[in-house]
Amino acid sequence: MKAFLIKIRYVVVAALILLISVGVIGFSIYLTSLDKEIRARFAGARWALPAQVYAAPLELYPGQALDSATLKHELERLGYREQPEPQGPGTFAVTKDQALIYTRAFNFWDGAQPESRLSVRLAPAGITEVNDAVSGKSRDIVRLDPMLIGSIYPQQGEDRVLVKLTDVPQMLPRGLVAVEDRSFYSHYGVSIKGIMRAAFANLMAGHAVEGASTITQQLVKNFFLTPERSLKRKFKEVCMALLLEAHYSKDEIMEAYLNEVHLGQDGNRAVHGFGLGAQFYFNKPLSELHSHEFALLVGLVKGPSYYNPRRNPERAKARRDLVLQIFNDEGLIDDAEYKSAVELPLGLAGKSDGVARYPAFVDLVKRQLKGQYQDNDLTNEGLRIFTTLDPRAQEALEKQITEGLPVLEGQRKMKANTLQGAGVVTSVDGGEVLALVGGRETRYAGFNRALDSRRSIGSLAKPFVYLTALQQPQQFNLTTILPDDPISMVMPNKDVWEPHNYDRQNHGPQPLYMALAQSYNLPTVALGLRVGATEVRKTMQLAGYSGNVLPVPSIFLGSLDAAPVEVAQMYATLAASGYQSPLSAIREVETKEGQPLSRFPIKVKQTLPEGPVYLATWAMRQVMTLGTGRSAYNVISPSTIVAGKTGTTDEMRDAWFAGFSADRVAVIWIGRDDFRPMGLSGATGALPIWSKVMRDIGVRGLDPLPPADVEEQLTDTATGLKADEGCTGAMLVPYIRGYAPTETAPCASILAPVNSAVDWLKGMLQ
Amino acid sequence: MTQWIKVGAVVLTLVVAGCQTARGRHESNAPPQPTQPTPPASKPGYGVVTPPIGEPTPVAPTTPVAPGTDSVLAPPTEKVLPNFPKSADAISGPAVLSLLRSAQSSRAAGQYAQAAGSLERALRIEPRNYFVWSTLADTYLRQKSYDQAESVAQKSNSIARGNIYVLQENWRVIRDSRTARNNAAGAAEAQARIDAIQQILQPAVLPAVPQ
Repeated sequence: MKAFLIKIRYVVVAALILLISVGVIGFSIYLTSLDKEIRARFAGARWALPAQVYAAPLELYPGQALDSATLKHELERLGYREQPEPQGPGTFAVTKDQALIYTRAFNFWDGAQPESRLSVRLAPAGITEVNDAVSGKSRDIVRLDPMLIGSIYPQQGEDRVLVKLTDVPQMLPRGLVAVEDRSFYSHYGVSIKGIMRAAFANLMAGHAVEGASTITQQLVKNFFLTPERSLKRKFKEVCMALLLEAHYSKDEIMEAYLNEVHLGQDGNRAVHGFGLGAQFYFNKPLSELHSHEFALLVGLVKGPSYYNPRRNPERAKARRDLVLQIFNDEGLIDDAEYKSAVELPLGLAGKSDGVARYPAFVDLVKRQLKGQYQDNDLTNEGLRIFTTLDPRAQEALEKQITEGLPVLEGQRKMKANTLQGAGVVTSVDGGEVLALVGGRETRYAGFNRALDSRRSIGSLAKPFVYLTALQQPQQFNLTTILPDDPISMVMPNKDVWEPHNYDRQNHGPQPLYMALAQSYNLPTVALGLRVGATEVRKTMQLAGYSGNVLPVPSIFLGSLDAAPVEVAQMYATLAASGYQSPLSAIREVETKEGQPLSRFPIKVKQTLPEGPVYLATWAMRQVMTLGTGRSAYNVISPSTIVAGKTGTTDEMRDAWFAGFSADRVAVIWIGRDDFRPMGLSGATGALPIWSKVMRDIGVRGLDPLPPADVEEQLTDTATGLKADEGCTGAMLVPYIRGYAPTETAPCASILAPVNSAVDWLKGMLQ
Repeated sequence: MTQWIKVGAVVLTLVVAGCQTARGRHESNAPPQPTQPTPPASKPGYGVVTPPIGEPTPVAPTTPVAPGTDSVLAPPTEKVLPNFPKSADAISGPAVLSLLRSAQSSRAAGQYAQAAGSLERALRIEPRNYFVWSTLADTYLRQKSYDQAESVAQKSNSIARGNIYVLQENWRVIRDSRTARNNAAGAAEAQARIDAIQQILQPAVLPAVPQ
């Protein structure tokens, strides 16, 4: 019996030893695998870094048309702070005739530009001098750091802007340690003291009120673990924290923590790390934050949604002030600074939804990058993308569309939010997209009407009908008389096509330019039939139309679909005298280290002949002075020559205006998403918005100088014959050289000798 | 470098000779105006000591006077060469000139993408500065983007308002681009344009400086 018991004891002991051995081996294997996971994660790229998208930088140079109010606005948009005396990068002081700017350093694609102190002299017309404020030497041209306008992060993804611990002001790590983990620099990953304290607190409360996570544990939690709460997970967390501490220094752990921590949510974008946090809440780099701003961010770590300063400002302020108190206790700020800091408002940038971002424009950028970069490159590699976005033009376009639509709805007694709108602004020479609006909710990514809403373009097609004809100077010129008679055609599908004028009136024979200026349908169709739909379609394609449309006569009146951006391309070719530049939203792409990857140079190709384009543009100038676009000059200064065209589709389902100055092309579309009629024409719906945009962006007027192959001649517009001063209503009209009318109009014959004066005038102009 | 010295010498000769110099207005769209010969503008540094910027075509110390007219002070006739600016200095603001200078040094270092970047910046400021377009065309030529070189040179031609100095340079770029693409007929046509311009610039034309 005794022997049996001893035997049993041996068996039990053996089993126990075996069990413990297996446990130890198992635990070792477990630890080894955790260790591997940690090392794999920490080595190399720790985060998928979204590409960062920048607007075009503001250039400061003598002659730049920028007054002090606009400059101040631009600097504030960049997160520069006005101070009586600029101190440190990102600060400025401005008066009516001088600005002192302490610029930030920036790594441009073509080289680094160090921070500098500038003294800028200002006159109402613009900048007169740019000087280095330290040396007094004059600077020819200086770029400000470009605005970060968005990032390309994966769906439901994390967005972040990486920071290095060495670049971060000490207040942040020290403040974090004070608030989150006092013994960070002495523990091995877990804090026994902390656990005891938390356990005691929880015991007293009867439920979990206090966590005991160290900074290391928090990092592990965010980095490796799912948010589930279980003992098993807690165990894993503790093991990993110990392992992490064994492998990496406190500084490495702190730096990872600074970049990993979750600080807020913006739709499906998760704001991670203090680098992006500073941008997201304060629109400036981390290095420029003050104690009360650091305190807000540090306070957010505890609960970014509970303490969301935009949603719960009072709660956030209480938390911030508590953190400031801790900063003060720790000696990070003195009593005086504490007292003034708690008095300060939260100082958030942006009203309700973060700093200005431009989802519609970034959408265009992404599409342009599609062919060249994989999705992963864009969301993971931290590329720096320098775009053509002009924040001033974008602001004007957004403002006029979002403020214009409610006004139109009011005029037409429509329910609010019935109308939608889209718009594009581009440069003329170079085809850069400067501004893009895809709908009236400009802050939210959604249906991008500027790119994807292909709608019937109506009379916007007409200039291409006229341009086709004007390319045959032996047949047509601007004063060719066109009939305005009813037309009835049997189409190939046996339908009868009977176009009408917009006002359902007939106006009698019209000079060609007048038919375009007044947007008469019947003379346009008559002209189109003479040159042929295939030729007209070809002209449209040469201008940049890429859609697939049958060459049928209805295209003369615009029964073809195009998105606003495509219309902008077509009109930009006209604006650039027939030299097409493919519209582009990107200038350069760099790696995150600042190495240039690809450039998107200006591309130019002459696709349409210059002389006829000049004539067509001349007729489009008449649209603005005596035709359907003339109300534009109620808004735009009459000394600024612009050209354009209204577009209205059947039953007023679409209202368009497309036009240009010497330097800018703008296209506006107004309509309803459900395609129902809205009672607005191109002139009443789109033109008012277009005019205000052109005014706000300060366009340069067209230069009325004809190209070499164009001559001008006084013409009697009633007959299209050569005129002189004796003819009332004679106009100086451009013709392709050698094709001006030679036959003298009846009105001119009486004063024949005066013809020498016309010749003299011709001589002057040649 | 020797090219610059030559050009500098040419300009110096011009000034010393008291001839009519090419001095446009500070405006990119200034139309050429046949005017009375005027003494050179007294803007410090203009054209005398510093070589002009913007890839000037080295042209002869020609007095812009039509053949057959024997006095510089002769009243302008139809054949007098208009007062065309010969270099970007005459029509560009300081910002554009500064960017042209950095483009020039990038080009000298063979960094054509950098140069094109600076030129594009300049074009955003003065989109109708035909000297800048012309320099961009030549930069594309050096980058062996022959297609773009020709298109951009044509674009410069179209806004150059008949400035024969710029036209001559642009036609040279077009000729070389066409030659590089084995378009002999096109190159010959461009050469014919150059010849015609040089006819106008007679009597004294320096041989073209090799690139």
